[in-house]
Amino acid sequence: MSPFLAEFVQLLLNGVMAGAILAVPALGLTAMFAVLRFPNFALASHATAGAFAGYVANVSFGLPLIPSLVFAFFFAGLLGLVSDEVVLKPFRAMGAITTAIGSIALTIAIENLIRFVFANELRGYDLPIARDMIVGGVRIGPQQMQNLAISVVIMGLVFAFLTFTRMGKAMRAVADNPMLADIKGINADTVARIVSFGGMGLAGLGGMLIGLDTSIDPLTGFRAMLSVFAAAVVGGLGSLPGAIVGALVVGIGEELCLLVLSPSYRSAVGFLAILLVLVLRPRGILGQRAY
Amino acid sequence: MTSLTRSISRRSALKAGSAALLTLAAPTLVRAQSASLKLGVLTPLTGAGGFDGPRMLKAMQAVAEEINGAGGLLGKKIDLVVEDDQTNPEAAVRAARKLIDVDRVPVIMGTWASAVTTAVAPVCWESKTFLTTVSGADSITLLPHQGYLIRTQPNNALQAAKHGEFLLGLGSKRVFIMSIQSPFAAPTQAKLKETVEKAGAAMAGALIYEKDKTTYRSEVDQVLRAKPDVVYVNGYAPDVSVILRDLYRAGFNGPRFAQSYSVTSKVLEALPPEVTEGVYTVAPSADIQSPAFALAAKRLKLEAPDSYETQATDWISLVSLAIAKAGQAEGTAIKDAVRKISQGSGEKVYTAVDGLKAIAAGKEINYEGASGPCDFNEIGDIIDCKFRFQIVEKGQFKFLKVA
Repeated sequence: MSPFLAEFVQLLLNGVMAGAILAVPALGLTAMFAVLRFPNFALASHATAGAFAGYVANVSFGLPLIPSLVFAFFFAGLLGLVSDEVVLKPFRAMGAITTAIGSIALTIAIENLIRFVFANELRGYDLPIARDMIVGGVRIGPQQMQNLAISVVIMGLVFAFLTFTRMGKAMRAVADNPMLADIKGINADTVARIVSFGGMGLAGLGGMLIGLDTSIDPLTGFRAMLSVFAAAVVGGLGSLPGAIVGALVVGIGEELCLLVLSPSYRSAVGFLAILLVLVLRPRGILGQRAY
Repeated sequence: MTSLTRSISRRSALKAGSAALLTLAAPTLVRAQSASLKLGVLTPLTGAGGFDGPRMLKAMQAVAEEINGAGGLLGKKIDLVVEDDQTNPEAAVRAARKLIDVDRVPVIMGTWASAVTTAVAPVCWESKTFLTTVSGADSITLLPHQGYLIRTQPNNALQAAKHGEFLLGLGSKRVFIMSIQSPFAAPTQAKLKETVEKAGAAMAGALIYEKDKTTYRSEVDQVLRAKPDVVYVNGYAPDVSVILRDLYRAGFNGPRFAQSYSVTSKVLEALPPEVTEGVYTVAPSADIQSPAFALAAKRLKLEAPDSYETQATDWISLVSLAIAKAGQAEGTAIKDAVRKISQGSGEKVYTAVDGLKAIAAGKEINYEGASGPCDFNEIGDIIDCKFRFQIVEKGQFKFLKVA
């Protein structure tokens, strides 16, 4: 492979891996938006909470990777369920903007609660680190491939849930037309609880997936939040396949821009993508239909 | 019930009022009686600098006591007037105004945060008051301070030069530096390049990366394509720990170099030991081999005073010696005299008291401080300073040298 082609393939691969991990919390965000109709900024602290729950499972209880991820999902999901029920639900009657601002307050509160318990220092998961393999001039990390596979499986499970289960279909119905769903006897409260649990669970999973590759601290989720939002908006806020497409666009875009730009402009590309999409297709690449 | 409350509150108000009057009056009375020489101290006693400020104050008080015990300065006892800058520019400016306008101090010693120093410095030079600081931002000594400011903390350029010399000492021929986007990125990269190229080695490259990324794989690819033999990671703990992982995964086995504030003992705990094996770290250090350092340690009853305590020791020593040399306690006199006692071919002295004796005997002196040689260039930056180098072995720091 020529050096330029190798670099291109390498950046593409890095972008796919970064995008796949970004897609998990972006799915959670967009699912919650589809049903509850407000951007839930508390996603950031739930991602952090999931990362720390996974840390406790992995380091304190000595569980292997997959059970730790499951624990992260359930912990962040339950936290999301409780925080939505106690804090955000009363806000919803006041409109989407009020609820969104309430979710910012909530995320700051949870983030500081985590800081209170775990302090500010960096922590790492107790997992062995492996050197990358080089295939045809392209560097492939076994752990990144594993994380990619985990993300793909999670996405598959989410779509299976929406397609084949009663509750999944109910969620899509509420997202599509809440009034019609109500007439058909679908309990909107139950659907809201399920989506809060699932959405924040995905955020927690995403937080831990990000932490696997880096280290975690109370700001882990907050740091990833902008990219997650960019992904969801680019794909079309409220569209689940859109979240995945958006995450891949942002992930690959940020990497490929390195061919021509200095790394210090990487985030600018993410926002340029949002700007372009919103100008050309205000509803996002795949529009706003949930599924 | 109401009248009772009122009568008590009136009485207590009266008491409080008279107490306040007395408190206000008392220092004036004392001041009027004793012929003391007032020096201003403006350290952060609260806020982000609340850990270092009180210790710097103690170091200055210890030196003042020693001078007072040996007969004082210009025949007067030193009286430190202490204000808290709260690590807050606005509070600091108010406190500085009070020190200058009410207490009429010729010098303010102690600002810590760069933002605070940047706010206080104009107040000082406008009223011809001398200022000593530990703030590190390069921009501070570039302010039009007309000589009314010195700092004992190495600036970015001095740090980068020393880092470059260390990397050259490792036998590096191709150095790569990756810096986080920050005010120090460009000056550090420029000075490192200058140092490395002057010694006949080459820069393999330099890049500036964004903070808060979840992976730096592509940046690391860019580094490795340049085939460096050493990589200087010039960032903060969250990003440096990600980069060290990515460098390991990419199979880079050469030395890696970082500031010790970015590779802390917590980072070593968070990362697998094979990732941090052989990482070099550096931090500005007190001059631990200097006699002044040993004397400061003894004075403070500490085993090893840190960089801030030694710098504070040096400020009050330099200021006292400059006042003695000039024969008057005025800001302009201190400004004009400070380099006459801090550098040059005079007799080396390691404490303020020894220096004062030598000046009284009519000798030229060169104060060598606990934090370093305390020689200043024309804009008030120190010319030389010691650095502490460590290497990580099996997840633990191992002391290499102070040089």
